[in-house]
Amino acid sequence: MESSAEEYAAFEEKVKRTVYLDNLSPQVTESVIKTALDQFALVKSVKFIPNYLGTSSLPQCALVELESAKKVKEVIAMIRQYPFMMSGMPRPVRARPSLVEMFDDRPIKPKRKMKCCWLEQSDPDFEVAKELKNLTRKHSAEITLMHKVLSKEEEKLATQQAETLKVHYKKYRMIESIMTDRAAHTLARKYNMAVADE
Amino acid sequence: MVEETKEKDPEFKWGKKKGFGGKKREVIFYESFIYDGVAYTLYDSVYLYKEDEPEPFIGKIIKIWESGDKKKRVKVLWFFRPCEILNFLEGYEARENELFLAAGEGLGLANVNPLEAIAGKCDVACILKDDRNPHPLDAGLQNADFVCYRFFDVGKHAILDKIEDKIAGIEVKNIFNNLYSRKLGGLSKLGLDEKEVSVKVTTSNEAATLSSDKNNQLLVEKLDGKCFDNVDSRDKTLPQAKEKENGVYMTSLAKQKSLAKLSHCSRDSLEMKEISKIGGNVSIDKTLLKSKNNLEMGGHNIVGIPDRQINKRLGEGEVYEKEKYGISSAKITSNVKNRRNYDEYDDVKEVPSKKPKIDTMSVKHSEKKLPDRQINKRLGENKAFEKEKYGASSARKTNNVQNRRTYYDNDDDDDDDEKEVPSKKPKIDTMHAKLARDKLQKESSTTSLNVEHKLDYRVMEVTQRPDVDRSKWFKPMAWEEKMKNACEQGKLVRLENLDPSLTSSEVQNIIWHGFEESCTAKMIQKTAYSSPHSGQAFVIFKRKEAAESVVRKLEEGCFLMSNGRPLVGSFELPCLSGKKPIFYGHHAIDQPRQRETKDALSTSHCSQPNNIEYDMALEWCLLQEREDKSWRRLYQRQGEELSKLKAKLKSKI
Repeated sequence: MESSAEEYAAFEEKVKRTVYLDNLSPQVTESVIKTALDQFALVKSVKFIPNYLGTSSLPQCALVELESAKKVKEVIAMIRQYPFMMSGMPRPVRARPSLVEMFDDRPIKPKRKMKCCWLEQSDPDFEVAKELKNLTRKHSAEITLMHKVLSKEEEKLATQQAETLKVHYKKYRMIESIMTDRAAHTLARKYNMAVADE
Repeated sequence: MVEETKEKDPEFKWGKKKGFGGKKREVIFYESFIYDGVAYTLYDSVYLYKEDEPEPFIGKIIKIWESGDKKKRVKVLWFFRPCEILNFLEGYEARENELFLAAGEGLGLANVNPLEAIAGKCDVACILKDDRNPHPLDAGLQNADFVCYRFFDVGKHAILDKIEDKIAGIEVKNIFNNLYSRKLGGLSKLGLDEKEVSVKVTTSNEAATLSSDKNNQLLVEKLDGKCFDNVDSRDKTLPQAKEKENGVYMTSLAKQKSLAKLSHCSRDSLEMKEISKIGGNVSIDKTLLKSKNNLEMGGHNIVGIPDRQINKRLGEGEVYEKEKYGISSAKITSNVKNRRNYDEYDDVKEVPSKKPKIDTMSVKHSEKKLPDRQINKRLGENKAFEKEKYGASSARKTNNVQNRRTYYDNDDDDDDDEKEVPSKKPKIDTMHAKLARDKLQKESSTTSLNVEHKLDYRVMEVTQRPDVDRSKWFKPMAWEEKMKNACEQGKLVRLENLDPSLTSSEVQNIIWHGFEESCTAKMIQKTAYSSPHSGQAFVIFKRKEAAESVVRKLEEGCFLMSNGRPLVGSFELPCLSGKKPIFYGHHAIDQPRQRETKDALSTSHCSQPNNIEYDMALEWCLLQEREDKSWRRLYQRQGEELSKLKAKLKSKI
């Protein structure tokens, strides 16, 4: 099933039309994305990238096909400039141009020849290949670790922010309460200060 | 009657129409069809694929139709592989390529499947030595995919060596080697069969002469009486009436099958010549059994055969007989013949084999003239008796009525079938699971013995693998579900160090070239975080052993792909959506005013630099940037390590 050059070109066009979003909350659904982005561009399709690899609790990623490549640039610029909230705050969504490898249904690249062979044990490359295999494993372990570390950092930031938010909330509640029960006004009179009345 | 309906699917074409059914005659039955370039006929054995079953099911098409809503359906009588019924096989040796035909009553006998489930033709040779089997094929000479000579009773869960005359309402002679489809090969064998038949006939004849005259007459009378009873009750209740009569018949004959045979044998001796002349069927026993079936069930399959045609034949038959015996015998004959005509329509397929046999029979007859004459006398008495009662025309009436009755039966049958649509072999499936495990254990022990696998060290160019997956007609199951199942069954392998730009189908091709295993693969889609150096894929193999051997081979050997990538395989499990993922960074204030806040939260918006949200968002942006940078640095380092090592590789493929 060799895909023809035209087919592949059409696919590449589609890639250009598509924006990749990540840092999405698990609550985000296709309709949320559609409504969120329709202020900028017409959303043609939304596809979430499933996360099958062992690293749990990664934010969702999605591919959003827009009407044109120009719109993709606009959306990315917009989301870069202003933190964009989708289905929650304050963690913003991030947008980037999509890549070919992100697509599940990508056609086979035309005119590519893949070769493969089994290496004999006597082959000098055998050992190198073995090392390469080990390196691959090591790298994937590193990636897993990295995910863990970063997820810890996210958690830290999240708890810290939650704390700040709570304190802020408490502060505003207090202000509100003294304003409503007129304690602020009483005090202002006492200290001979002006209080804006609501 | 042949009509080719135009279908949307260019690979599909209906064959010969067989009749109509259903309440409004909206159901059309067919005898054959062409699907995916292969011509299928009724009673062909076929493979049926079910997604996620390592091996295809094998079954026999016993009915083909298109329902009112244009759905193509086939009713399939199942074959069991020995491994599927392992628990019930104790004491039996089963050949590796042996199949057991489902019999009896119960779940797993037959069901209705979409026609599209058919994945290909399967060659099952029936080597059962049975008079009803037209040509017991020699197992040694046949290179059929499977052989079958035993049966599995799905109700009693027992292996049977013998079989009743009908399975799932289909006469076994159809189920045995299908004459039609084996016409060419079968004809050459006819000679042998005929000999067998004639021997049998002689013996049955002798048996008949031995039995007392009285008995003979009694039996004949009973049989005929029954036939004519049917004339009286010629409405729709016929089947029941028939059954009742049959009950009487059965009790009077004590042992149903054998005695029925015997009674027929005795009759046989009386009507030896007629039958032989009619001689349509392969063996006389079979004719009689069939006629018995007709009595019981009122025939089957035939729909819409013009009565006149039958009558005409009947007329011919009468004339023919007249020449030899005089009109008197015609009546009894006509009954038999009547039935026989039925049979003929029942399986048009048998027609080709008929002619040669007729000759041999009649030859034999001339030898037997003397005893027959004697019997004829008795027959004469008999027929006189009947003439008084019914007159000659009644025979024909019976014929018509029976014919009509067949019609009704057929309709009823079909209605039932349509309701039967629900799932395949449910009960047996549970057995499967258990058995499959046994089987796997067995097989894995054998495979581990031949660890000494041969590897081809030549450089291969990955091309499209041969189309081994024929299950393309099934709607693909959701990948998640598939992966979960495969994971539980140990068929899932995770591959690493693939070129990230490969597609899933390319991975499948690579696996095919390297391991000669077919599989379903899925490249893990890249995200902003994933490694640019190593693409990963999940691969589902057809069997657990295949998955194990692939992982072992990858562990022991080195399978190098383009750009100096040795493939890495492992049984690492995927993370499947089960528990709710945790997502950091979205806060909600759970206080009285929660409601409003929540509403505000769920709207998507760009943050403006005048509130606390913006500050926090910027903190997140900062973190995201830091993360990005760490990833970049990690991958950069990894890339350097890899290229350093790759430089050591001498062969560049």
